[in-house]
This record gives sequence, C-alpha cells and structure tokens, in this order.
Amino acid sequence: MISHAPKIAGSVAAALLVLFPLVYSAGNYDFVMHLWITAFYYAILASSWALLAGYGGQFSFAHLAFMALGAYGAGILDNYVFLTSLPTGTCTEFGLLGTNIVFLPPAGTGDAGACLTAARATWPEGATVSRFPLLLQIAFGAIVGGGAGWLIGTLVLRLRAAYLALFTVGLSEILRAVLSAEIWLTRGQAGMPMSPLFPEGITILGTTYGPAAKLPAYYVMLALFFATLSLLLWVARSRIGLFLRSLREDEDAAEALGVDTVKWKRAVFVLTAAIAATAGAVQGHYVGLITPNTLVLLQMSLVIAMAVIGGLENLVAAAIGAILISFALEFLRTDFTILGLEVDMTTWRLVFFGLLLMLTLRFLRNGVIQGALMWIERRGVGAETVAKRRAAEEAK
Amino acid sequence: MDHPGFFSLAILWMVLWGAIGGAVIHRAYLARDLDVTAARTVGVAVGAATGPFGLVPLYLRTPTLTRAWQALPWIGVVTVFLFAFRASDPDNVCFTSGTFVTSQLVNGLIMGTIYGLMALGLALIFSIIGIVSFSHGEFYMIGGMVVYYMTEVWAPGLGPIAAVIAACAVTFGIGAAFERAFFTPIYAGKVERPNEYAILVTFGLAFFLQYLVQGLSGANPVKASPFFELPRSEWPAGAPIIETTRSNIKLFDMISISTPRLTAAILSVVMLLALIWFLYNTWTGRALRATAQDRQAAAVAGINPGRMNMLAFGLGCMLAGLAGAVLVQAFSWLPQTGAIPALRAFVIIVLGGLGSLPGAFIGGLILGLVEAAGAGCVPDPTRAAAYLPAYGMIILTLVLLLRPQGLFGRKV
Amino acid sequence: MITLDVKDIRKKFGNHQVLKGVSFRIEGPELVGLIGPNGAGKTTLTNVLDGAIKPDSGTIRLNGTRIDPLHPYEIARAGLGRTFQVTRAFRRMTVLENLYVPAMAMDASVNRKEMEEKANEILAFLTIDHLRNEYGRALSGGQQKLLELGRLLMLDPDVYILDEPFAGVHPSLMATIYKWIERVNGEGKAIILISHQMESIFTLCRRLLVLNFGDLIADGPPAEVKNDPAVIDAYLGVEEDMSGTGLLTQEASHA
Ligand SMILES: Nc1ncnc2c1ncn2[C@@H]1O[C@H](COP(=O)(O)OP(=O)(O)O)[C@@H](O)[C@H]1O
Ligand SMILES: [Mg+2]
Repeated sequence: MISHAPKIAGSVAAALLVLFPLVYSAGNYDFVMHLWITAFYYAILASSWALLAGYGGQFSFAHLAFMALGAYGAGILDNYVFLTSLPTGTCTEFGLLGTNIVFLPPAGTGDAGACLTAARATWPEGATVSRFPLLLQIAFGAIVGGGAGWLIGTLVLRLRAAYLALFTVGLSEILRAVLSAEIWLTRGQAGMPMSPLFPEGITILGTTYGPAAKLPAYYVMLALFFATLSLLLWVARSRIGLFLRSLREDEDAAEALGVDTVKWKRAVFVLTAAIAATAGAVQGHYVGLITPNTLVLLQMSLVIAMAVIGGLENLVAAAIGAILISFALEFLRTDFTILGLEVDMTTWRLVFFGLLLMLTLRFLRNGVIQGALMWIERRGVGAETVAKRRAAEEAK
Repeated sequence: MDHPGFFSLAILWMVLWGAIGGAVIHRAYLARDLDVTAARTVGVAVGAATGPFGLVPLYLRTPTLTRAWQALPWIGVVTVFLFAFRASDPDNVCFTSGTFVTSQLVNGLIMGTIYGLMALGLALIFSIIGIVSFSHGEFYMIGGMVVYYMTEVWAPGLGPIAAVIAACAVTFGIGAAFERAFFTPIYAGKVERPNEYAILVTFGLAFFLQYLVQGLSGANPVKASPFFELPRSEWPAGAPIIETTRSNIKLFDMISISTPRLTAAILSVVMLLALIWFLYNTWTGRALRATAQDRQAAAVAGINPGRMNMLAFGLGCMLAGLAGAVLVQAFSWLPQTGAIPALRAFVIIVLGGLGSLPGAFIGGLILGLVEAAGAGCVPDPTRAAAYLPAYGMIILTLVLLLRPQGLFGRKV
Repeated sequence: MITLDVKDIRKKFGNHQVLKGVSFRIEGPELVGLIGPNGAGKTTLTNVLDGAIKPDSGTIRLNGTRIDPLHPYEIARAGLGRTFQVTRAFRRMTVLENLYVPAMAMDASVNRKEMEEKANEILAFLTIDHLRNEYGRALSGGQQKLLELGRLLMLDPDVYILDEPFAGVHPSLMATIYKWIERVNGEGKAIILISHQMESIFTLCRRLLVLNFGDLIADGPPAEVKNDPAVIDAYLGVEEDMSGTGLLTQEASHA
C-alpha cells in the first residue's frame, strides 16, 4: 500500500540524520555540522509557521518576533541571574532551597556583575557561582514567547488577512526598535552574549566534547526538531488540526458547526509562538550571541519562502523545504566572475529565492515538495470517484 | 522628565476610564434602543478625556451621537494628554520654545505631505484591486534609486525633473508588468485565498526587488545631491523675514526648513494636483474612480476591469516611486530604505480607512505631525529617534481597536 | 420536548432597523416556513438565532435555556444548527473531513469508528458518497448544499434552520433535499425553512411565518396566511405568485 511509503521514508531519513555526525568523515566537519544545525533551526521555524499560516490561516509576520522573545528571555536570565551557594549581601537576591538566586542590576555594556565580583572576593574556597540552569532558561524563553503569542493572538482575533499581516509586521519592527534602543538591558546592536549549550563540555559514550564542539549541539537541535515535528504532526492530525483547517476555510461556518474558533486560533498562536521561542533560545545558546538583527524582515522572508516553497499545508514538506533551502543558500554563497563581471552571490542568491517564491506561489500553489507528496497521495482519488459512480450506475 | 510617576498615573487613569467608557456607554445606548455604531468609540474618548465627570452625564442623557460628538472628545483626549505631559515635564523644549514647536509643525506637515503621497498609492491599489501590496516600500526605494542614477551617473545633464519622470516610468512599468503576470489568476477566480496569495506574492516581489537592486548597485548607501540649491541671501536685509543658505530656509528667524524636503513637498503637491486632475478630468481617470466605487456597474458601463487593475497597480506603485524620487535628495539611500516608509504607508491607510483616497492623504499629514512631535518632544533623544516607527504603530493599534474602519472608511 | 421561544428580537444596522421586534414560538417537531420579500430580514434573523449577530434587544430560548448571550459555537452545541444562503463548504477539506468537523466539535471523545460509519451512511443517503474523498471545492453548487445538509446531520441539533436550501439547486437534487427534510422531521426535530420557492413551501410546511421589512406580519397555516390582507398588501397584489412558482422579490413588491 502507498500509505506506508511516507512512514518508511520518514523513518529512514530520521535514522540517517541520527547517524550522520557519527559516520561523516569527509572534510569541514564543523562547518557541515553547523549547516545542519542551522537547517534544523529553520525547519523548526518554517514548520511551526506552516501550522499557523497553512492550517490556521493566520498569516502572521511576527513569528521571528516570538523567536527573538524566547532568545532574549533566555539571554536575560543567562546574563543577569546567577545561583550562588552563599549570599552576596549587596546584590538583589533571595534564597531558595539552600541556594541564592542573585539578580545583577542590568547595566548594558557596563559591569553588571560588580556586586557579585566584590562579594566573591570575600568568599571562602569552595563557594560556588553558577549560571541560571540552561533548561530553565529555555523554558522561561518558551513561556515568554507563548505568553506573547497569547496576547497577540487575542489582539488579532478579529483582524482579517491584510490587517493581520500589517499589524504583525509593525509589531516585529517595534520589537526590533526596542531591542536596539534599550541598551541598558539588551546591549543594543552589539548583541547579548550567551553561554554555550554545554559550558563545561559534555561526555557522550566515553568521548568528551568541549563547549564549542558541534556534535552535542547537533543532537540538541535535532532532538528539538524531531520533538517539534512530532508535536506539530500530532496536533495537525488530531481534531485540533481539523478545527484549524475548518476555521481557515470559513470561520463563520466552523462556528455554526460548534467549533470554538476563538479558542483554537489563540491556541495555535500560543503553541507556534512557544515553539519559535524555544528554537530561538536554543539557537541563541548555540551561536553564543543574540542581536536584534535576528528578526529583520529578511529572516522572516526566508522562513516564509521556505514554508511556501516546501508547501504551506504540509508540515513535513515545509520542514524539508527549510532544510533544502538553508543548504542551497549556503552553497550558493560562492562568488564567481562571468564575462568580466563579478557576481556577488551573497546577494544574488536572495534575488533568486525571491523569484522562486513568487513563481512557486504563481504556478505551484501547493509548494514544490508538498505538490509532489500530494500527487503521490491523491493520485487514486479521481479514479476512485469515477469507479464508485460507475458501480452505482450499474447497480441501478 | 521630572515626574515620570505622575505621567504614568495620568496615562493609566485615561486608559482605565477609556475602557470603562467604551463598555458602559455602549450598554447605555443598547439599553435605550439607540444607534450604537459610534457609542463605544465616543464612550472611550469621553472616558479618557473627562473620566467619570463626562461619562455620568453621557450615560444619563445618551444624546444622538453626531459628527461633533464623534470628533470633539478626541480633541479633549489630546488636550488632557498634553496637559499631563506638560505637568510632568515642564522644561521640555516643546513647551518652552515656540520657535521649536512651529518648526516641528511645519516640518511635520512637509513630511506628512510626502507620506500622504506614498500612502495614496497604496490606497489606490486597495480601492481598485482590494489587496494590500507588501512591496510598496521597494517601489519607493526604486524611485529614489532611479533618480540617483539618472542625476549622478547616467545622465547628469538632463536635470532632476527628467530623472523624476524616469523614476515614474520605471516604477509604473514594473508595477503594471507584475500585475499582469501575477494577479490575473485572482480575477479569474483561480486562487483559493486571494488575500493571502496577494500578501505573499507581493511580499516575494519586495524580497526580489530589494536584493535585485542590492545586486545591481551594491549595499552601500548613496546620496543624490539636492535638486535645487539656493544662494545665500537675506530679505529684507538686516532683520530678515526670509533667510536662505545653500540647503536651508529660515522664516521669521524661527522656522527652519531644509530645502530638499521643501522641494520634495512642493513636487509632491504638484504631482498630487496632477493626479487629481487626471482622476477627475480624463476618461481613464473617471473610469478608475467608477471602478473603485462599483466594480460591476463599471464593467457593465463598458470599462475593462482588467485594464483598470493594471492601471491602478501601476499608478499606485508609481506614487510610491514618486515619493522616493523626490525624497532621495534629502536622505541617504539603501536597498533596505523602503521598509520603514512601507510600514508608515500601512499605518496611514488603516488610519484613513482602507481604500479611502482623501483619508490616505489626511492620514499622512496626521502621521507626519505625530512623528514630528514624537521626534521632538520625547525627552530622551536617542530613544525618540529609535522609536520613530513605533509612534505610527501605537496609532495603528488604537485605530484597529477603536475604529477598525479608519477615520474615513466606509462602514463594513 | 423541543421548544424555540423567540421574543421581541430587534436589530439595527446603523440607522436601518432590520428586525423590528420579531416574536414566535416553535414547539415539537414542527416544519415552519419563513417567507418574505428580499431584504425582509430573514437571513438577519437566522444570523441572530445562531448567534453570529447579537440582537440589540430581545431574548431567545432553546428548550427553556436562554441562548442569545452565547457564542455561535455554544448555540450550535446547545442544539441549533443552520445552513447558509451562500454555500459554505470547507473547500480545501475532503467531503468526509467536512462531516467530521461538527461531530468532533460536539464531542471531543467521539468514537472514530461510529463517526465514520455515520458519515458514510449520511453521504449515501445524500447520494454523494462517491465523492467522499474529493475536496469540497470539487463539488458542484448543489452538491455543496447537500454537503452542508450532511454536516448538519452530523451536528444533530434540535432545531434546523435552512436558509434558501433550494436556491440554485438542480431539480434532480431537489428530491434528495425533500427526502432529507422528511428524515429530519421524522426524527422529531424542528425545521425552519426559508425559501422563495412557494411550491415547496406550500407542499412541505403546515405553518408559515411572513416577515416584511423586519415585522412578522403573519403566523399561521398556509391557507390562512395566503388570504391574510396584510400579507397580500405586503406583496402588493401579486398573490398569484404565492400559489405559483414565481419568485417573490422586493422589486415585485415595489412594482
Ligand atoms: N451586516 C449588515 N450591515 C448592514 N446592513 C445589513 C447587514 N446585513 C443585512 N443588512 C440589511 O438588512 C436587510 C435585511 O437583509 P437580509 O436579512 O439579508 O434579508 P433577506 O434574507 O430577507 O433577503 C437588507 O436591507 C440588508 O441590506
Ligand atoms: Mg436572505
């Protein structure tokens, strides 16, 4: 049966992705791993946006704003909140379960940690200072993003397509302005440094990897990608996916058939915002620096182009589209000279993708990858309809 | 700011009573079986402006909400806001220096005229085709780029007016060609969700055009020289009413206007008059207006809707290009230059009412003034500049919450 | 027993009073025709009943509970279902998925197998079962109307409001809609049928409501309503239309 083919293909692909860092031995190991990590990051963003836009019909341009909120949420905890074994006495702090949670006063580019440094100088040997636990940072980022998703989902409940898009574009621009201007907290354009995913390194199966090693980060991002995709697919195939599609098609009709459209619209905003925020927090820790430029419209355009070219109404297709395009973007980076003209590929590849986005929308409305998948999946339907009608006519 | 606490309290007070007013007055009008369409908005305005003192009588008397009722309380809101601001920041230059305020006002109106011109293009497109173009900013950018290349590189001898006309031709051409190539399936009913399709495909165009220009001209900012340069002069000499330097005009020794911006505004007004003449005095212009008002009736009357669509999109893009073409002499220009003006145009057309042409122009003036006030009066100058796009967004949010049809929009 | 109690519903759009205090009561498995010239407010009344539009004043009770303050989805779950004058199939969902939406919205833990069986039975009843895996958009206008009727059966409300179910339907599908109405009515459900096809209304309904410019000007058996002076007045002497198949239009009433 054809219905098993996608499952088998998916399992094989997943297995290959898991094995890849262990078996890859050609050159540029770190660079190749970095490409994959970036590809997974975009795949998470594109597939979650596909649920929001393709299933829920909410063409929001604020997806990367949620991503940035997650990254900055985690980054603020990372930079300004520490756990110590002894009280400092001078910083803002409170004790909890035998540890002190120390809040450093945000001081932009200045020395935020003065009170902590001063206190440490007087502490005995063995007193510990550690960053706010990474998992909790990421969770906090996700909550900030999800909360913002709830708020925006509520604000835009009544907005129709054009208004929704305009409003979310504006909102992202504002967030970028805030992140650039509030230097005391975010360090503005200079960006906020973030500790690596594994600050002390990590030992997996007897091999020790340093903080900058790519392999652990690869598996973290891959796990996040798999988790996201499974969650999204589960949602899409559950009744929630059915409700989302029905409200995308016709909100009034869905309401009249008992679907609580307000609830599900808001829910899809919260869910996809939280996913984007989580991806942002993890990516921030992986890259080690977050800047307001991560949410320029270009980034949002890329995510949209990935989802559209992959296929907006198929989460897997959107994810595959994202992976392919982020690789393509990287490989098309090499400049070349033609007829004595130097072609700056860092720019021209984007021209190409803009064109590809437009042409896909115009001529392959289901996206390139989803189009192919749908053709395989639905090629029996027409024949089935005809056969059924003929059988019915013969029975008469 | 001397008393930020007082200011926050005042804002909180206004928001609170505004919210209460919106809910309570709407109920009062409903309960008395009166027209409720304006009740909520008037309630918000009266609540924010006067608190309980205006709300109680309004609740008890429920007068017919005439146009005056819909407008005057908002003036009250602005006044109260200004008083609160003044009380909390008495030394602000916006209260101490009349010269500065007049200057800002004049400059706000000048910029507002150009914003209006650009937004007019977006409104024109919406009124005919019913879609919002997300590539409007890129046409603005291209208009400026064409003028820069014409006056500085390709044909410096031809002068700025020829360059502006070339910019119009280029932006009109790209717009019209794009419309034919990508919008025809919408009219044929072949697109399942036309709004979303239009958003995405114009967004794709924006992306494409922005990087195309960057690929062709590089990522460095360019700057065109001013169209006109003035000689240094005073009139009358000694105690001048008009004092000019190369790129500045000073009136009454207090209002300072940069000449590039002034010429840009004057050119905009001229173009605007030409557009109005076109819309009202030519067959094509009348056909366009007829199509905007009633598509089917226009088609019955023998107007080819396809041609009107192409014309509207081309003209709309041309207006954006024009705004860029006249402003390139005042600002330095980048392939990314279009993003903020596009955002502004969105804000303006929502403020003016999607698809309303006079609304778009007046909305432009309002936004110009608000931005001038924001840039000049917000106490922390670096923040004031960084948040320039935010002032428009605050307006946008308020309009969407309070009056989704905009100031001049038809009721939906 | 099923009751729908509508009391003094008023609705104004701007300065246009579209419903001027409409009251009626339905008890048990009635089949009520709602007629009136174009623009009389029939669709608006339907929208008010199903919660899509909030009335300015008045109350609606379904089986004794007030439903007018509820959201449309709550009203649907409380037992009031409607079709739309302009068909609203979910165009990019398959016919089966169209039917699953109300079933799952009504009951989150619905038994999948039973749901599928019921959906297939309904599609067979409506003679569109060969289209079950086609997208909604692939259906003809009349088939989409049938699909809407099928969705309502999945919702299984107590009161069905059909807004012009015969408009633009090919005669060959009319019999199916008649059959559908008989089935629903036979199950003890109430139906409000809005239509301009007087023939159908007079064959099917034993009670008529006549709406004219927002006023309910008549309520009674067809024979009685037909001779009601107010009704004749409203239709300005085109009463021959009322027994024939002609359409009652506002133009006619203004003639
Ligand atoms: N949303 C609305 N805003 C303003 N007027 C409306 C709206 N909906 C309906 N109307 C007006 O209410 C009147 C009744 O319309 P409708 O209920 O559709 O009539 P019917 O279904 O009986 O033909 C019409 O005059 C129509 O123009
Ligand atoms: Mg109707």
